[in-house]
Amino acid sequence: MAELTPETVMRVAREFFDYPMSPETAAAVAKVADAMLTDARRLSALGLEGVEPPFSYATMVAEAERLRRRDPSIT
Amino acid sequence: MDQSSILDLDVAALADKLRARELSPLEVTEAYLDRIAATEPRINAYITVTGERAREAARQAEAEIAAGRWRGPFHGVPVGLKDLCYTNGILTTGGSKVLANFVPDYDATVWARLREAGAVLLGKLNLHEFACGGTSNNAHFGPVRNPYDPARIPGGSSGGSAAAVAARSNLATIGTDTRGSIRQPAALCGCVGLKPTYGRVSRYGVVVLSYTLDHIGPITRTVRDAALMLNVIAGHDPNDASSSRVPVPDYTRFLGTDLKGVRIAVMRDLADWYEPDIERSFDESLKLLASLGAALEEVSIPSFKLGVQVSGLVARPEMLDYHQDWLLARPQDYSDNVRPLIEGAMVIPAVSYIRAQRARALMIAESCRVLEAHDVLVTPMCMTTAPLVGQDFVRSPAGAEVPYLPTFVAFTGPFDCTGQPAISVPSGLSSAGLPIAIQIAGRSFDEARVLRVAEAFERARGPLPPPKL
Repeated sequence: MAELTPETVMRVAREFFDYPMSPETAAAVAKVADAMLTDARRLSALGLEGVEPPFSYATMVAEAERLRRRDPSIT
Repeated sequence: MDQSSILDLDVAALADKLRARELSPLEVTEAYLDRIAATEPRINAYITVTGERAREAARQAEAEIAAGRWRGPFHGVPVGLKDLCYTNGILTTGGSKVLANFVPDYDATVWARLREAGAVLLGKLNLHEFACGGTSNNAHFGPVRNPYDPARIPGGSSGGSAAAVAARSNLATIGTDTRGSIRQPAALCGCVGLKPTYGRVSRYGVVVLSYTLDHIGPITRTVRDAALMLNVIAGHDPNDASSSRVPVPDYTRFLGTDLKGVRIAVMRDLADWYEPDIERSFDESLKLLASLGAALEEVSIPSFKLGVQVSGLVARPEMLDYHQDWLLARPQDYSDNVRPLIEGAMVIPAVSYIRAQRARALMIAESCRVLEAHDVLVTPMCMTTAPLVGQDFVRSPAGAEVPYLPTFVAFTGPFDCTGQPAISVPSGLSSAGLPIAIQIAGRSFDEARVLRVAEAFERARGPLPPPKL
């Protein structure tokens, strides 16, 4: 797999986040991000077929209740 | 009672003396404030010392106890908070320049509960900037140093919380743990550090590192003190949507027993190598647990071997989400060793985050299977003892140079991913006099059993010699 280049990092940061990066910064970030992408590829070894993401509807509802308590303008 | 004898008391012993009015909260507070003044030039555990507020709270506690209104074991007892915890009217920096002047107008639930229990806040504790790292080498407030050897790190990110307890400049402190930030500093500083089950202690009013991995818990001198502190801070909080309604028992009720009939799963394959002193201490610890009546069996949890990767892939995008507005507006206010960690998440595909969350479900499933047949899991806490301040890499016995962070997240990260309770308990000192610890983990919301095993181990092993500061 090709390594993430500083140019790609700079472009994504600028176009997706409106965040300018110097070439030096982008080189450092590319190293960090490349290590994370390598980590991500390693997850395929776990065999996650059939495992759903454990996002909890109950937690979403509890958060909604909290927001309504905090902000009475939410009807 | 002289000052040094006051500092020798743990929470349980101090509470007895305060309740019996053999000691006054003000006398205790003054002893600790003097100790802070004496140790801070070498340790740098505090960002803010709240001396006058502490004296005021101590006077109030003294009056209440004298009037027969004793609130419980933390009434008049000194505590400290990692500087991620909101404190009404008191500077809360997160260890960052971004929040250098931030004064919240409400309390984190964890502090509100301790305050209601009568605890006396001595100050806000130094940490790795925004909890984004494991050394507490803070670029804005200076490095926290290990009381056992000030040339070395105390661990992190709750480095100030652990260093203060070890230096006896605080008695019981609050830390946070996303990938090991309570347990690893506790281990490196010879303290007890408990990461409770996710949802057991409210995260409300605590600066976020990772919404789904952050845990709040105690760092103390003894396991009993950790149980006492958990009694105060645990419980449902409607202000935290992830807070659990599972009933909170009295955690001290399960302490003081032997380990006959306790089934312990032992996991040592989370690392490829250990410093020889760590391996020796772990073997001795297992023998001690067996001598207390426990039945030990070696196990393996395959998905745990990717705990470093899974916890990182979950934490980093959540970190970016929390920090994005600040980062875009004031990137220069983040230090050079933290900013790239947050920026790096900008180029991580969403699918990697979702996949890592799915991996957590698998980790929980595999861990629960092991804990069906065993009461607790025991692992080493770290591959090495505390490295030197500024040392980002460590050397294996074979001479390989490896980044420091994964050498402890390999043990701690899996239990942040599963949300299960885990405690770090001192197991001895290395030949260089540096603390070593073991980790004991258990089923979700079964802190009681984790504490029971930890206390039996601690009692049999005896206390570590305190640092020579």
